[in-house]
Amino acid sequence: MSWREIVALVLLIAGGILELFAVLGLCVMRDVYDRLHYVGVAGFGALLIAVAIVFRESFSLIGDKALLVGTVLVVTGPVMVQTTARSFLEREHGEWEAQIDRSQRS
Amino acid sequence: MNEWEIAASVLGFALIPCGVVALLAPPRHGLASLQVASVLLSTILMLLSEGFHRQPFIDLAVVFAPMSLVGGLTFARLMERHL
Repeated sequence: MSWREIVALVLLIAGGILELFAVLGLCVMRDVYDRLHYVGVAGFGALLIAVAIVFRESFSLIGDKALLVGTVLVVTGPVMVQTTARSFLEREHGEWEAQIDRSQRS
Repeated sequence: MNEWEIAASVLGFALIPCGVVALLAPPRHGLASLQVASVLLSTILMLLSEGFHRQPFIDLAVVFAPMSLVGGLTFARLMERHL
């Protein structure tokens, strides 16, 4: 095994463990806001696996696209979590930002 | 079976708990589960592409990753008022 394959294997295992940890967290947590945190964790696992593919393949067509997918998942994960949590808050409390504004004025 | 295919199989089995949460928990919890499952599925497609050395799988992942964002945001927006 070359050193590139060893690094790829280590990154693959680390990414896989991170993804399994995200699924475990999703199952163990009881609050929906706690569960949402694990979307970001899973995204970082995907990025580690994408980097593992780049180490194995170098910058080939598959390697480049894997890196693109990993980056997209890491960047869009927090956006999705924030938007989802915000919409859940709107559903629970109505227009909660307007309530904060009113309480600050009075 | 190489290490990439084994990892894809393991993550494929990890989709089952996500499906169980999506089916049995309230809809808001199901949306969180759907978002984790979409990240898992993108990763599985990457792993299959590397394992089989077939490029179409990675093309699917390239399309699926942004589409999962659009789908997640659409469901979040719908759940804000309508669902």
